[in-house]
Amino acid sequence: MKRKILICDDDEGILEMLEMVLDAEDYDVTTEQNSLKMFDRMAQVQPDMLILDLWMPVLSGDQITAKVRSTPAYQHLPILIISASRDGAEIAKNAGASAYLAKPFDIGDFMDAVEKLDTQSAA
Amino acid sequence: MENTFKADQLPRDSDNSISLTLIKAALDSSVSGIIITDNQLPDNPIIYCNSSFEKMTGYKRNDIIGHNCRFLQADDRQQPERDKIREAVKKGQNISVEIRNYRKDGELFWNELYVSPIKSPDGNITHFVGVQHDVTRRKKAEEDLKHEKQLREQKITERTNELNASREYLESIVQTVRESLLVLDPGLKVISANQHFLNTFKVSLSETEDKSLYDLGNGQWNIPKLKELLEKILPTNNPVLDFEVEHNFPHIGRKLMLLNAHRIELEGEYKDRILLAIEDITERRAIEQRKDDFLSVASHELKTPLTTIKGYIQIMERLLPPESSEKLKDIIKKTARHADKLNNLIQELLEVSRIQTGNITLVKEQFDLDEMVTEMVDSLQAASSNHRIHLSGRTGIKYRGDESQLSQVVSNLLSNAIKYSPDSTDIDVHLAVVGDYVKLSVKDYGLGISPADQKKIFERFYRSSETQKHFPGMGIGLYICEQIIKNHGGSLWVDSEYGKGSTFNFTLPLN
Ligand SMILES: Cc1cc2nc3c(=O)[nH]c(=O)nc-3n(C[C@H](O)[C@H](O)[C@H](O)COP(=O)(O)O)c2cc1C
Repeated sequence: MKRKILICDDDEGILEMLEMVLDAEDYDVTTEQNSLKMFDRMAQVQPDMLILDLWMPVLSGDQITAKVRSTPAYQHLPILIISASRDGAEIAKNAGASAYLAKPFDIGDFMDAVEKLDTQSAA
Repeated sequence: MENTFKADQLPRDSDNSISLTLIKAALDSSVSGIIITDNQLPDNPIIYCNSSFEKMTGYKRNDIIGHNCRFLQADDRQQPERDKIREAVKKGQNISVEIRNYRKDGELFWNELYVSPIKSPDGNITHFVGVQHDVTRRKKAEEDLKHEKQLREQKITERTNELNASREYLESIVQTVRESLLVLDPGLKVISANQHFLNTFKVSLSETEDKSLYDLGNGQWNIPKLKELLEKILPTNNPVLDFEVEHNFPHIGRKLMLLNAHRIELEGEYKDRILLAIEDITERRAIEQRKDDFLSVASHELKTPLTTIKGYIQIMERLLPPESSEKLKDIIKKTARHADKLNNLIQELLEVSRIQTGNITLVKEQFDLDEMVTEMVDSLQAASSNHRIHLSGRTGIKYRGDESQLSQVVSNLLSNAIKYSPDSTDIDVHLAVVGDYVKLSVKDYGLGISPADQKKIFERFYRSSETQKHFPGMGIGLYICEQIIKNHGGSLWVDSEYGKGSTFNFTLPLN
């Protein structure tokens, strides 16, 4: 069965692009632009992995991560944080993300990160 | 005297190399400063200097090769001798002058200068030789003698006037400075307040004078830490420096004030007084904060769409059928390259602070310098139909350096030239080899830069107030350019006359 990835970023352009990339690699992709709707989305999609931007209006990527981690069922859910902010790596780590990529990244590096998280969680 | 040489005696002949070494050694052992300039290149740049010249002026070869000698005049450009030299150089004649010059550390020296043309057999002046002697001591002795008498008389009158004058002087300074000032007695009671203080805090003189500092307003200065510092000023003569007070003041609301206090004494008048200067830095602090915020937001906002662009380019590369036209492949490759360039620019913008500590890394590779410059000229020409950019000269050099950073410098100088000469059309770009350096100059005929601004334009966020009005934008370009050129071991400088235009030059060492 296809693995399910849920992506959240307030920038529509990057959502569309990442969806195209992951689609081509045969993932089942859902995108969400409104961070407030993420928890409904998760309940609905039951994702195998989350990809989150950091700075989003209202609810930030690290806040989502922290909240997800406090749910027992999601304690080990792979979460990849992507961000352009200078101290993004540290914020991501403190919030409990599994991996971090600084924007702008190479698609090659992005796919490497996704696949690595995917095989780790599948194992 | 006139120096001539035959073509087959040119010093660069390889079979003459021993004598050339000898000549160089001889020149270096001379006590006179010796300089050779190339009259066939624009603005007569220096191509050689001996070691006495370095010693005399404090400049190293690296600083000056490629410059016109006038940099030795620093800001002292109104000397009649300068015009005399210009005339002689124009006419190709010998000249001997005594001119005020300045060492690299800014110290004045009197330069006894002898300039003489060198002609080729066909009568063209190819070079000039300059011979310099530091005659400061002689000049100084002459002038000292002259001034001594004058000085002695002057001093007597001065002394008598001094006491009266200094009182009025102090009073007028206190009233005119655009800073709030209070004069306090040893008990920290206000003796006087200047107009600026009254305006800033919207208070009257009667509310202020003869009151204790701590009772002013709503007790804003009654801060234990400040109290301790102020009370130490008179006994120890330790000033209070840059003490910040953030407070909700009556009438004017929440403000950030910067306090400086010093002990003042005026002999014969009074001894123990404190001058307290108060500066409202609320606005300045807010601007600094906004600048930092702007940089972080710019980083975030620019990088996200850039990630998308980069992503699509990489997808395009993958989706492109192998049989696609070369042209299409080339376009995609170029798009990718420019997206990366944009990314670098954003990165650099953010790392200006890091650059300041000298931490940008160079990726050095060999590249064709002439071609790089030609490319930059072409692309800026394509973008600006109002200007004609003329490129002349070539180096024929494969230069080893960071091509992307250096092309950024060239592009920056060109776009400045375009930007700051809106009412003229010509821009002259010249490439040359001078000594063992390459030199690039970009000359415009635009606004020009005043001497005061010439020093400032290489600062981090600087643009001259005049140009600021006409051309809003960010002023980090030249700062970054200078750092890049410095990192390559070269130097970047400007020659400019206000109202006539500017020439930006850089040199890069060849090895
Ligand atoms: C070979 C040579 C050496 C020179 N050396 C000096 C010098 O040591 N000090 C100086 O102030 N000007 C020197 N000059 C003069 C300046 O380079 C320049 O010609 C002069 O300032 C007049 O030109 P301008 O009006 O364009 O500045 C020298 C010129 C030549 C050609």
